[in-house]
Amino acid sequence: MEPLNIVGNRVIRVDGRAKVKGEALYPQDIYLEGMLYGKTLRSEKPHAYIQVEIEEGEKTPGVVKILTAKDVTGQNHHGVLFKDHEVLCSERVRRIGDPIAFVIATSEKAACEGLAKIKVRYTELPAVFDPVEAIAKDAPKIHGESNIIYHYRCRKGNVEEGFKNCHVIVEREYKTSMVDHAFLQPEAGVAYWDQEGNIVVCAATQYPHFDQLEVAEALGLPKEKVKIINPAVGGAFGGREDITLQIHLALGAYLTGKAVKAVYSREESFYAHAKRHPIIMRYKTGASKEGKLLAMEATLIGDTGAYASWAVNVMRKAGVHATGPYEIPNVKIDSYAVYTNNPFCGAMRGFGATQVPIASEQQMDILAQALGMDPVRFRLFNCFRVGSETANGQILHESVPLERCIEAVGQRLFHGLR
Amino acid sequence: MKKRGKGMAAAFYGTGYGNGFPDVSTAKVQMNNRGQVSVCIGATEVGQGAKTILTQIAAEVLGLEMKDIRLLCEDTDTSPDAGTAAASRQTYNSGNAVKKAAEALKNILLERAQKHLELPSAHGLAVEDRQVYLKAYPKKRVHFRELVGEEPIRVEASFVAQTTPVDEETGAGAPYWPYTFCCYGVEVEVDTETGIVEVVRGVCAQDVGRAINPELIEGQIDGGFAMGLGYGLMEDLHLVQGEIKHNRFANYLIPTALDMPELEKMIIEDPESTGPFGAKGIGEPVMIPVAPAILNAIYDAIGIRFYEIPVTPEKILAAIRKRKKEGNCGNDFER
Repeated sequence: MEPLNIVGNRVIRVDGRAKVKGEALYPQDIYLEGMLYGKTLRSEKPHAYIQVEIEEGEKTPGVVKILTAKDVTGQNHHGVLFKDHEVLCSERVRRIGDPIAFVIATSEKAACEGLAKIKVRYTELPAVFDPVEAIAKDAPKIHGESNIIYHYRCRKGNVEEGFKNCHVIVEREYKTSMVDHAFLQPEAGVAYWDQEGNIVVCAATQYPHFDQLEVAEALGLPKEKVKIINPAVGGAFGGREDITLQIHLALGAYLTGKAVKAVYSREESFYAHAKRHPIIMRYKTGASKEGKLLAMEATLIGDTGAYASWAVNVMRKAGVHATGPYEIPNVKIDSYAVYTNNPFCGAMRGFGATQVPIASEQQMDILAQALGMDPVRFRLFNCFRVGSETANGQILHESVPLERCIEAVGQRLFHGLR
Repeated sequence: MKKRGKGMAAAFYGTGYGNGFPDVSTAKVQMNNRGQVSVCIGATEVGQGAKTILTQIAAEVLGLEMKDIRLLCEDTDTSPDAGTAAASRQTYNSGNAVKKAAEALKNILLERAQKHLELPSAHGLAVEDRQVYLKAYPKKRVHFRELVGEEPIRVEASFVAQTTPVDEETGAGAPYWPYTFCCYGVEVEVDTETGIVEVVRGVCAQDVGRAINPELIEGQIDGGFAMGLGYGLMEDLHLVQGEIKHNRFANYLIPTALDMPELEKMIIEDPESTGPFGAKGIGEPVMIPVAPAILNAIYDAIGIRFYEIPVTPEKILAAIRKRKKEGNCGNDFER
């Protein structure tokens, strides 16, 4: 490798000092002259038609305006892949936590009081919470005609033939849970008009330029009239990819002419952003007597909840990584993304590739035991190397130091100590 | 009784949006006549270290120190689109964009230096201490300030990752690039009276392509390990009819520093030719093998395999009780 001066060094992080000293500005820290406070009214039902009455709420002292779907000046939608979220729900809620109204008041207290006086009449609809049930033809539909958003297929070789030649075959079903990013800083932000007549949104986000597009579209403004300022971000892990409060704040500032701020509590944060897809994983893996993986079949069913977010990409990534880092000549993988009335799932660290090893790496240990093989040796025998071909037929033509990684762990944790 | 066991898991992870989707990062680099450089790129610093890594890359190319470079990523007006801070793509994608832009700036400096120094060619010129000099005759040199006029030099460059869509019927294609590899091993201690699993040791071998900043990589491994530990042993929103029952940190448990074992971290380098200085993304890979390694270690400790996560103390105790009742010998394969 070429000798370098700065790359490769333990340089102290450039944002470290301000963060350690408490000087870094997080969105919650921003206070502007005469700013208003916003509170979100959220659905208490998982699936229902709604009628919203805001009159009593708007009469509450200190309440300046209550935004509902009718107040959205542009497109009442957003979403990273499909525009299946409404900025504020117009007729129907699809999960507990869906935003219905945004109360803007002179103080946080007044906003809470106004929010308590909004009446929501729910006409409940049948709901579905199990992704396997949601696949059934007669299941309640969350959006459109089918709850299946995506079906990834991988077909390599011939699994039936492959299994015929196996000495051991392991079949198991695994299940992962729905989890939260639990980042340190709950959502917060402030929006205002700048002197040039642009709407400015200060909120922690993973992708400011995409937020700019979504805010502009929801407000019905050209993108150039919207500016996103991304102050210090208190962790993200995928949980700040979908819009949460950005459009509500922008719309509030746009319609009231004043700066509008909102800060979510931890509990609200749990409802506001996407979760990690729980996946049901049915695996069948087989190997020869010598310990060579010969065939693998997997069905993955991912519950994306009420909105798609990144479901297609997550379940594709899960499917592509379902084999684990091993060469298997015969592979059949089906990976599905399914709508339910659960909290919506999207990006989270690993993005589908984190769920599948819960299954594939336990399959490896079960197979190794059945073969009477050391799990380190079994992995080394099958792992990707330079020149390996993945289940997709992709050639790993360089930088594949997996053998070294497995050997290092084997030496340090297993053989070195035994 | 406390029982110990060891387990491992290996993983691979494909960087980026993938599937042929345009995965683009754009960077603007500007130098004034005092040799100060600003790098504008809309790559969010989410805590992963993007600002530091991207500054290091620009400093390396331009022969400058960290303090000479200001990295701006916070404003959509000033910083061009660099995609999302996700998919472990900022070091690889945006690192490449910054490197390309800094190299373009450097080339302008070298061309101007050639003229200034009245050299027949720009070959053999290099940069250090805000000066361009001829490597074969280092006395031949000129300060950046002589090369940049009143008007700063401004360059912009983009990097686009290479992937293909997968075939809808067969999945055939090259959906991601590059792939990052890792293997982690753990030792656990399972208390068969309380069901509590303590991870007492972790060994993490992490491919990084080439390390831009080992300190930040080790920090990511610490964080990824903690998140994986929580995923395997603690975290569950506990949904009941679509309602999140664990919606506070009082009942949605995540690991604390006290749950973390001492980690032995091994940075495995094998440069990726398309990465900036050979670097690959590691933000997500560092989490992936942790939970499955713990599950394998629990099996090694008590002979019971768990097919659902999180493996809470309640689940461990219930499984031990069930085994006692059934008199199961614990041979996993013949369950």
